[in-house]
Formats: sequence, structure tokens, C-alpha cells
Amino acid sequence: MTPGPGRRLIPAYLVTGGRSAPTGPALDRLAVLIRTDAALPPDTGSEHRRLCELLEPGALTVVECAAHLDLPVSATVFLVTDLVAAGRLHARPPIPSAGELDRSLVERLLVGLRSLH
Amino acid sequence: MLGWIVALVAFVAAIWATVQTDRARKDAYGAAARAELTDRQLKAAEARTLALTEEIRQLGQKRIPAAATALSHRTAPVPGLREAADIEGDAARLLTEAVQAAGTAVLEERRRVDAAARSAMRGTSAKIQSLLNQSQHLLHELQHEYDDPRILQLDFRNELALRRTQATAVLCDAWPGLARQNSSLVEVVLGAQSRVAGYERIKVANHLRQERLALAARAAEPFAIALAELLANATAYSHPDTEVPVTVQQTAGRGALVLVDDAGIGMDDDALKRARALLAGPDEVLLTELGDPPQTGFAVVGRLVARYGFSCHIESSPYGGMRAMLRIPAHLLTVMDDDRTLSVLAPKPMHARPGVPAAAGAGAKVPGDDATVIPTPGRAADPDPAGAGTGSPAAPAAELPSRRRRTRRAPAAPAASREEAEELVARTPEQAGNSWAALQEGTLSGRKAPGGDAPGGGVPTPPAASSDDQGDET
Repeated sequence: MTPGPGRRLIPAYLVTGGRSAPTGPALDRLAVLIRTDAALPPDTGSEHRRLCELLEPGALTVVECAAHLDLPVSATVFLVTDLVAAGRLHARPPIPSAGELDRSLVERLLVGLRSLH
Repeated sequence: MLGWIVALVAFVAAIWATVQTDRARKDAYGAAARAELTDRQLKAAEARTLALTEEIRQLGQKRIPAAATALSHRTAPVPGLREAADIEGDAARLLTEAVQAAGTAVLEERRRVDAAARSAMRGTSAKIQSLLNQSQHLLHELQHEYDDPRILQLDFRNELALRRTQATAVLCDAWPGLARQNSSLVEVVLGAQSRVAGYERIKVANHLRQERLALAARAAEPFAIALAELLANATAYSHPDTEVPVTVQQTAGRGALVLVDDAGIGMDDDALKRARALLAGPDEVLLTELGDPPQTGFAVVGRLVARYGFSCHIESSPYGGMRAMLRIPAHLLTVMDDDRTLSVLAPKPMHARPGVPAAAGAGAKVPGDDATVIPTPGRAADPDPAGAGTGSPAAPAAELPSRRRRTRRAPAAPAASREEAEELVARTPEQAGNSWAALQEGTLSGRKAPGGDAPGGGVPTPPAASSDDQGDET
């Protein structure tokens, strides 16, 4: 996974285990991950284990985990959905940022208020 | 008198005539015999010519084509002379020499054509390889920019194509086309795994004593190519539901060994013999000898084995299919630089895995991990001078937790380590005073009890008591 000169040795798609799409609901790259109390079974893969260790001190977003693991977000999502499905992690969708108000709605409201007079 | 003379003359004449007639008859007889002999010789010569013509026809129509066929199909029969008895030794020898000469000529021509084909494919595959490398680089960048999992799939397809091209290039005597740095052996194994269709069935078990064991730069990529070919064989010839276990371990002779097992259909004796001949690294592998479609796997491994100095052996596997063993000699192994981190995906060595002993809870896991990592260099340094046995991954796994317990329970054991000494420092003066007092008391009571003769019976007991005491405190 070291970009730069030469060919990378381990490609990111190895974590998908041959699947074309992650199991479970789609995850945003800003979804927040929280470790649950469930212990890891001994045969957990090293990448899953590392992800859980990252989340041991506190919550991180998917994209932060991806950066720590040096994996692309698309590959990290596979790991996360696996662990969420097994009950080792909680994933919370990101809080949507406040969008701009719909101008036409405001105008209609204004018209309505004026018509009250 | 005259009558007598006449009679004598007549008699002489008669004798002469008789002799003459006899001679004439003899001559005639001899002539007839000669004529007959000549005739016979003529016939024999004609027959010989006919036989020779037939032999030459046989040579042109059957023997030379059959000999040419036999060069590529070793089991094909080559007919001999038609009627060996009719042909003299010289002619027969010459005919046989003609067959041999034709065979040599065909062989040389085939070698020349094969070399031309290889050089053409070498050029093409080098070009395709560089293009695929470029698209791989682009895909890598895309992966980090977009979250679509289809880019991962595309990357995989690209990698498969790259492996095929690379294998073809190696078969055509090309350089593997990539320089690497010293690379961790486990990472190289994972890299080879990622190049194979059905890679999710391959399970890598890391039994290395030294986690950072690495392949020397010059052997890293060739080894990855060879292992990828063996893995491709294993996955292609086994059922899609079965796993392909791969074991990475160190050998007694400071080398390393990678085992690939499959539960596939195995190989018959002929195929096995052919495969072993290819794996032995022959001087030249002809593309035309690899069958149609060409079975390149073992041939590629054979080329790399011959050039880079590792070795490969195949045999029947205990899993039912075949087992391929790649042995890496010590001179191709090294240790990774400390500033390079191992990939997240690389499986941890079995003996350093925290999973089995540290199932206590989430909080205890991290220090447990540390404690198991600490003995690792010790274990790695240990077998180096001794050259200890290889296949004991279970022993360290069982030994590690007991070692930790020993540090807690028996700090006063005679072989106290540095960590225990540090634990002792943390004790309060009162506790230290108590323990020393206990020791003194114990010694005194031991000396008093059975008289001077048997202090050995009394001495050990009080320290045991004192160690229990400390065990509670710590």
C-alpha cells in the first residue's frame, strides 16, 4: 500500500475477500464508528483486530480509520460493515450539516403571514 | 595296312570329335549357367532396387514425418525399415542417418521458430505490462479519491491481467520487469495471493519466528510471481468450496519455506513427472512443448527457480490434492529495516497472536499484546545459533501466558528477571522489612530445627511462605 515508485505489493481489494459490495447498509465516509464491548474471537483477521484497536480509545470516522490503516475508504467500508454485522462496532451516520433554506418555501410562508392581516 | 591306318585315323577323329562335342556341350552348359546366374543377379538387383525404392518411399512418406512428430509427442511410434532383410547394412544405416538428420533439422528449425516467437511475445508483453502498471497506478489514485467499490474490482482485474502478462514475459526469458526493495516475506506471500482468481479461498498462516523476516530485493518479485503461479494452480484445480491453506515458516537451516496445499484432483504420474522436469529449471523451455492451451504455471516457476536460486518441489498433499513447497535459501533472506511498517493486512505470527490467551476482556487486550510482543525478539534470537526445529508453533503459544503468570506468582524464584527486580523496587520500606524479617526468621528456624546436618530440608519452606506473602502484596 505504499504509493510512489514501483508496484505496490498488497492491493487494497484483498480485504474485500472477493465480494463486490459490502454487506449491510451503505456507510458514509463520515460515519462515526464506536467500539462495542463484544470481545474479538481469536481467529479475527489482523486488519479487523487493528481496526478495533484503533477504536479502543474512542470514536473515529470511517475516513480517519482508513487513513490510519493506510487503506482506501472503499476497502475500509468492507471491514467496518463486517465488524458492525458481527456486533463488534457501532456505526452512527453523520449528522447532516444545516443546508440552505428553500427560498420558495420561505416566500410562501411570507405570503401566508401577510394574508393573515 | 591302309585299312588299319584308316581305322586309326577314324578312331582318332572319333575321339577328337567326341572331345570336341563334349567341350562344346560343356561350353554350352557353362554359358547357360552363366546366363542363368546373370539373370538371377539381375532379378536380385531389380528386387533390391525395388525394395530400396520402397524404403525410400517409406522414408519420405512415413519415417521422416513420424520422426518429426515424435519430437513433440514422445510416445508417438517411429516406424523402422520395411523389410530389413532385403536391405544391406550400408543402405539401412544411411537411411537411418537420413531420418536422424531430418530430426535434427526439424529440431533446430523448431528452436529457431520458438526463439523468434518468444522474442516477439517478450516485446509485446513488456509493452502491455508497462501499460497495465500505469493503469494500476491510476486505479490506486482513484481508490483514494472515490469510494466506489467497483474500482477495487477493476484493480483486481487489472492485477490478474498483469500476472498473466508477467508470467508470459518470464516464460519468454524476460526480466520480471520490476525492482523491489527488501520486502517482508509475509507481505510478498499476500501480494502473490492478491494476484490469483479465487484469492479469498487462500488462507495464509504465518508461523515465522521472526516477524520482520524479509526477502532480499532481487528475489522479492520473482518469488511473488512463482508463488502466484503455484497458488493459481492450487485454486484452479480444486473445488471452489475448499480452502487453499498456505503456511509460511522458517526452516532449521536458516531458510524459509512456503507450503501451498490444495484439496484438488491431484496429478497422475505422467503429469507429475513432466511438472517436476519443468520445476527442475531446464535450460530451455519451448513454448510449443507446453500444450494447447499452454500450461505455463510450472514452466514459469522452473524458469525463476533456475535464475534466482530458490527451489520448488511438488508432491501429494495430505489435504487430498497437491502440495507445492517453495524453499528460500538463507542467502536470499534478510530482515526488514525498522523504519518500515508492515501492512495492516499481514497476518501476525501464530505465536505472537494475542487472541488465544488474552480473551479476558477489551481492556486487558492491549497490555496483553505488549507482553506477548516482548518475548518475540528473545525467541527469534534464540534459535539462530542453535538452529532449532521448525514445526513447534504451538509450544510458544502455550508457553507465553504461563511465563506472565510466573512473573506474578513467584518473584522470589532464584532466576529473578529484571522486570521482577523493578517490581521489588516499587515496594514500601515496611513491606521490604517484613519480607526480610520473614527470610531471617525462616533461616534461623531452619538452622535450629533438625540440627546442623540437614539444613536443606528446612530452608526452602520459609522462603516459600515469604514468596506467598509477596505474591499477595504485589
